[in-house]
Amino acid sequence: MATEESDDHGGHHLPAVEDWPRGFGEASWWPFVTAIGGAGFYIGAALFLLGTGEQPLIGSMVGPAVFIASTVVFLVGLYGWLYHAFIVDFWGGEATEHGSPGLRMAMILFLGTEVATFGAGFIYYFFIRAGAWPPAGAELPHLVGSLVLINTALLVASSFTLHYAHVALLNDNRSRFIGLLVATLVLGTIFIGGQVYEYYEFIVGENFTITEGVFGSAFYGLTGLHGLHVTLGAVLIGIVLIRALFGQYSSERHTSVSTVSMYWHFVDVVWIFLVVVLYVGAEFTI
Amino acid sequence: MEISGALLPAIPAQGAGVGTSGQLALTVLMGVFLVAVFLALTRAEDWRTYTPLAGGGYGESGHHVRHKPEGITRWLTTVDHKDIGMLYGLYAIVAFVWGGLAVLLMRTELFTPSMDVLGAVAGGTNAGNALYNGLLTSHGITMLFLFGTPIIAAFSNYFVPLLIGADDMAFPRINAIAFWLLPPGALLIWAGFFVPGLAPAQTSWTMYTPLSAEQAGFGADLMILGLHLTGVSATMGAINFIATIFTERGKNVNWANLDIFSWTILTQSGLILFAFPLLGSALIMLLLDRNFGTAFFAVDGGSPILWQHLFWFFGHPEVYILVLPPMGIVSYVLPRFSGRKLFGFKFVVYSTLAIGVLSFGVWAHHMFSTGIDPRIRASFMAVSLAIAIPSAVKTFNWITTMWNGKLRLTAPMLFCIGFISNFIIGGVTGVFLAAIPIDLVLHDTYYVVGHFHYIVMGAIAFAVFAGLYYWYPIFTGRMYQRSLAKWHFWSTMIGTNLTFFAMLLLGYNEMPRRYSTYAFNADWAPLQTVELLHQAATLGAFILAFGQIIWLVNFVQSWYEGPEVDGDPWGLRDTSLYGREFEWHERRLQTAVTDGGEEDEVATDGGVDETAAEEAVADEQSDE
Repeated sequence: MATEESDDHGGHHLPAVEDWPRGFGEASWWPFVTAIGGAGFYIGAALFLLGTGEQPLIGSMVGPAVFIASTVVFLVGLYGWLYHAFIVDFWGGEATEHGSPGLRMAMILFLGTEVATFGAGFIYYFFIRAGAWPPAGAELPHLVGSLVLINTALLVASSFTLHYAHVALLNDNRSRFIGLLVATLVLGTIFIGGQVYEYYEFIVGENFTITEGVFGSAFYGLTGLHGLHVTLGAVLIGIVLIRALFGQYSSERHTSVSTVSMYWHFVDVVWIFLVVVLYVGAEFTI
Repeated sequence: MEISGALLPAIPAQGAGVGTSGQLALTVLMGVFLVAVFLALTRAEDWRTYTPLAGGGYGESGHHVRHKPEGITRWLTTVDHKDIGMLYGLYAIVAFVWGGLAVLLMRTELFTPSMDVLGAVAGGTNAGNALYNGLLTSHGITMLFLFGTPIIAAFSNYFVPLLIGADDMAFPRINAIAFWLLPPGALLIWAGFFVPGLAPAQTSWTMYTPLSAEQAGFGADLMILGLHLTGVSATMGAINFIATIFTERGKNVNWANLDIFSWTILTQSGLILFAFPLLGSALIMLLLDRNFGTAFFAVDGGSPILWQHLFWFFGHPEVYILVLPPMGIVSYVLPRFSGRKLFGFKFVVYSTLAIGVLSFGVWAHHMFSTGIDPRIRASFMAVSLAIAIPSAVKTFNWITTMWNGKLRLTAPMLFCIGFISNFIIGGVTGVFLAAIPIDLVLHDTYYVVGHFHYIVMGAIAFAVFAGLYYWYPIFTGRMYQRSLAKWHFWSTMIGTNLTFFAMLLLGYNEMPRRYSTYAFNADWAPLQTVELLHQAATLGAFILAFGQIIWLVNFVQSWYEGPEVDGDPWGLRDTSLYGREFEWHERRLQTAVTDGGEEDEVATDGGVDETAAEEAVADEQSDE
């Protein structure tokens, strides 16, 4: 989750004298601030739980309030961090590709952890899928329809547009780069919209919810986890797009374009696997 | 194994009046303890401007940019791997104290079958049993996640960059955020004890469902959230270490001459990369089961067995996550007091990698008695027995390293030898448990507890102490008090063996683990023997505690008053065993002496000769 916020890997350019606290080179408040925000998500979630149940210990709005406040702190921390680590240097002409191999490697390692994160959910699904099917007393919703197919096509297409955006950047074709980046973001957003619509259809239309039983848990657990990843990916692409509009990328400076691109392709691959095993695999039995 | 003491038959409650006042007393005690810790911290005069050397601190050697702010700001904003290492160390020691106090309370409760101190504290025997279960859970979680993993991170943060000739970690700020996520994680995990209205989780560290999914009280929810947070922190650290070791090595450090400690950290980080995120997902599923009506681990859903699979797929690599770096410390320190290089260096590295791979293929040996398919059991038994081979390779290499060496029995060396001795007992008892028929007999008895405590206390903690003593001069610029260190070693060694050997014997007597009492009819089993062994274990635990108090006193006092030492406290400079970290330490000392540690002097008097200035610059760079 934090790989993208990687540090500038200091010591190779001038100390960040403008950073906060000022004048101390390496020292920085941003990791601490961001950690407060990040931990705040967990504390907010904990307080939310304390506000539930038959005898809530605290008001039901305390948790969400802390969660929202933490989001603000987290984003401020990330902004300060990224701004001082990456952006400031562009205007000072200091930015190099020096940290690039490390950052790319960190993204690959992060994707390794993602395999494990998704792995637990898929293991659960395979575990129940190997049992009696369809699960006793449960009615599966209509899974494989035009919505899923169109959504899949959109997401696959977005991988291609992002890849060719990167190629265009490497060829110094700026307008094509930005155009394809916008296209990727639009496709990703439509995909998220499609997922929300599907949830709406299932929950309201077919009365198939997360408490439905074993398949409900698997379906909403896996698609929800994937949806969160797509959403994060869309945010990252949005950041890349804004930086691209400010002209911060060139064929020599494109580390975050390539790391975000790796992430997006990974999420795409997970989706294809998910469609094959969770949608098609649940509906059809050989 | 899956049934915790929470399911003990209900014993009529008594002394409810004592309960409220007992709880009050506990709360007050906790408050006094926290205030005392805070006061001690503020009274330690130079904790804010911690400079381990007489003159000059880090990176202040005559450069126009100061690298560290003053006061507490310095510690909150630091991204220096050495500072972060110290923070990890402090954090781990605080956790170690809490985990140790928790287990002392438990051992007191077990001194006799009728002992009911916890009942007196909590108000009633049932509440006492609940408190026992809470302490049991907290002891396990704290020692593994809040002491074990962080204390290893303390060493690896401090020394991996020095040993591989890097300026710092690959991502110094990710390093900082990874640390700062830990204190809130600990607060969430411990919240059940100090937040009124919350009950501590009574799930034991394995959090087996359905118990953990159905247990009332928010303590378990908060613990799950806190564990997830510490898991995120560990994963960030692991990514950072792998990237550091791959991309930040100095010019003359390659894969062939990479030191053994960095090898073990690299392997450990690889294990964390796949183990912790999987636990994270499983924890979220458990949380959803508890609060949002999902069926991931429900009895008629994904089933409790699935939780065990997922948990142990994380849990067994976790054992090696905890033991590999301590093995690295022993492999690193032992040769320096044996006067010989590490015997069979390459094979120690290969065995580390082999353990790393095999550790993902042994998890179901924790589940032999759950009724899983016998064919699965047999294959897991084979791999579990096989993993003993690389462990034995290491053990023989350590012994051969000492063979015919010039042994110097300093405190770090004593702890290394103690490590090997305890590791052999812990390892051999583990081989027995890996065999299905023996496991079926000994499963869920104190034998298992004795076995893994020989590893986690007898081996891991011993190696940690070896590292702490060996590098104490680098941390503080001073030497610890040698006689106190030996007192620490011997009380720890005796305490460990007394406590945990008694537990092995208790296991042979079929004493089940996790119960807060053992009041049973003496006609069924030898109650007297069991009681005697329990008393031995309790006595051993208090000897252990006594030793750790000596250690704390020694370290704190020596920090202020210990004799200052030069860059070669162990007399290794003229040998091939003088490590890169002590070379760095020596350079730092020389720089500090040359410029007197006063940045202004250097800036104004201009009388610094060129070599010293160069060294100052070199040191400056290495500090960044």
